[in-house]
Amino acid sequence: MISNSLKIGIVCPYGWDTPGGVQSHINDLAGYLISRGHHVSVLAPVVNETSLPDFVVNAGKPLAIPYNGAVARILFGPIAFARVKQWIEDNQFDLLHLHEPAIPSISLLACWASEGAMVGTFHASAKRQKAIFAIGPILEPVIEKLSARIAVSEAARETLTTHLETDAVVIPNGIYANRMHGKVNPEWAGETIGFMGRFEEPRKGLDVLLKSLPIIAKSLPDAKLLIAGPGDPENILKKLNPEIAKRIKFLGRLSDSEKADFMTSVGAYVAPNTGGESFGIILAEALAGGAAVIASDIPAFSAVLQNGKYGKLFKSEDSVSLAKCAIELIKNPEERNHLSKSGQDYAQRFDWDTVAEEIFEVYEMAIVGQGKVRLTSDSRPWNRIWNWSQDR
Amino acid sequence: MKIGANIALLILFLWYLSFSATRLDRLHHRVETSWANLDGLLQRRAAIALEIAHSELVDPATSLILTSASHQAREATIESRSEAESGLSGALGLLLTDEPVTGVEKDLLRELGELTDKIRVAIALHVDAVTRTQMVRKKLVFRLFRLAGSAPLPVKYEFEEDVI
Repeated sequence: MISNSLKIGIVCPYGWDTPGGVQSHINDLAGYLISRGHHVSVLAPVVNETSLPDFVVNAGKPLAIPYNGAVARILFGPIAFARVKQWIEDNQFDLLHLHEPAIPSISLLACWASEGAMVGTFHASAKRQKAIFAIGPILEPVIEKLSARIAVSEAARETLTTHLETDAVVIPNGIYANRMHGKVNPEWAGETIGFMGRFEEPRKGLDVLLKSLPIIAKSLPDAKLLIAGPGDPENILKKLNPEIAKRIKFLGRLSDSEKADFMTSVGAYVAPNTGGESFGIILAEALAGGAAVIASDIPAFSAVLQNGKYGKLFKSEDSVSLAKCAIELIKNPEERNHLSKSGQDYAQRFDWDTVAEEIFEVYEMAIVGQGKVRLTSDSRPWNRIWNWSQDR
Repeated sequence: MKIGANIALLILFLWYLSFSATRLDRLHHRVETSWANLDGLLQRRAAIALEIAHSELVDPATSLILTSASHQAREATIESRSEAESGLSGALGLLLTDEPVTGVEKDLLRELGELTDKIRVAIALHVDAVTRTQMVRKKLVFRLFRLAGSAPLPVKYEFEEDVI
């Protein structure tokens, strides 16, 4: 029914060379599909062409546009549209996989321009997107062309059902679970609390964690806070009482293997994010690394942790509640080890082996009864009449 | 001047009608293909169920139940399909044991598992296509200009929601 090797086109809306969740998701997915013998081409906006993987096709320079509380590097306009059409026409894909097709981007343009088997993945789940979703009536006929929709989390799915009145299959983001199995670094182990991320961004919630530190220190005199991720430590330290500041160590940006060691070593990993998170890939990675996780109870996190089954949840933005969780966990090695063990097993659920198979299943279902992906304009009535008159 | 504007409007409107007709046509096509796909998968499930019934995996009683359930599912009319497929799901539920299975039977069960995952996705896609089509066809412009032509309004069967 279906030939084993498919030709798959993936469209990435955001600049390929700016780090981001969607980009790394696509990179891993493309890598996985290629290793399975499929032909994959990724169309993405690119700033700097020099270190591009073979499978990425440059769609042009992205524009920096303030969007959804951050600066998004996206691309649209007539030139981009022409490139998208060219790419679709040249490649004769069996299937298009469009990421984030509901924002103004080349994903939306590709959806608009083509006809055939198309799968869309919706990553975002922000309330702040209301302005964009207000143009629903225009988006609707376009989004409707997708034969299948994937949401990366229940939260993303809800955004989709409320704003665009359409349902989706939930398939989480993928991680390489085995690569997160690190070694214990004695410097990072013990009564340590780990935090990872761009700590200067308010929504990452470092402030909540810093406020809880004095409370934690009362019960755990040796408690230390390890902060990994890019940013300037001075901006954080200058606001703090020196007694507290000396408990904090900044590790800077970690490599992948250091990240695995970090998650395996820390006494507890804390994710105090205050919102704006759709999935929480970092939690899946922390679990895979065997960290005992404490997270704020925002919907994305309580979904990943199955309402607290695989990690402790504290009331979002409540430092006292956070401190209580941390003290309980670090003082109770048995609970810590139990969470670490069960969390690590559970994290296999997010491994690419599982996730990519589920995505591929959706591909197979979407492709049934469809020919190659082609440009819409071929099938419009007047073009059909035009072609017909040309043939004669 | 005024005539020109009117003609432009008319052309725009005709374009919109053509656009809407294409849109609905696409949806109808999706309902048909997603149903054909789901139907095919269900047929295959019934066939595997029958094979399992005739294997050494099951005791005679289970075998009897499975055989009759899969025959019912294969021969059901459109009205009784829902009930028959749910019945087969129930019968297949009997196979869930903790005992390790080996040999040919293991392959059969694995195939059944894979098929079940696919059916779950196929149901989601089909239900979505049907609801979408029903929604679009309720809109005024589609009813007023009879853009659906003579295509029947797609209907949802009960079993589509909880066949697994």
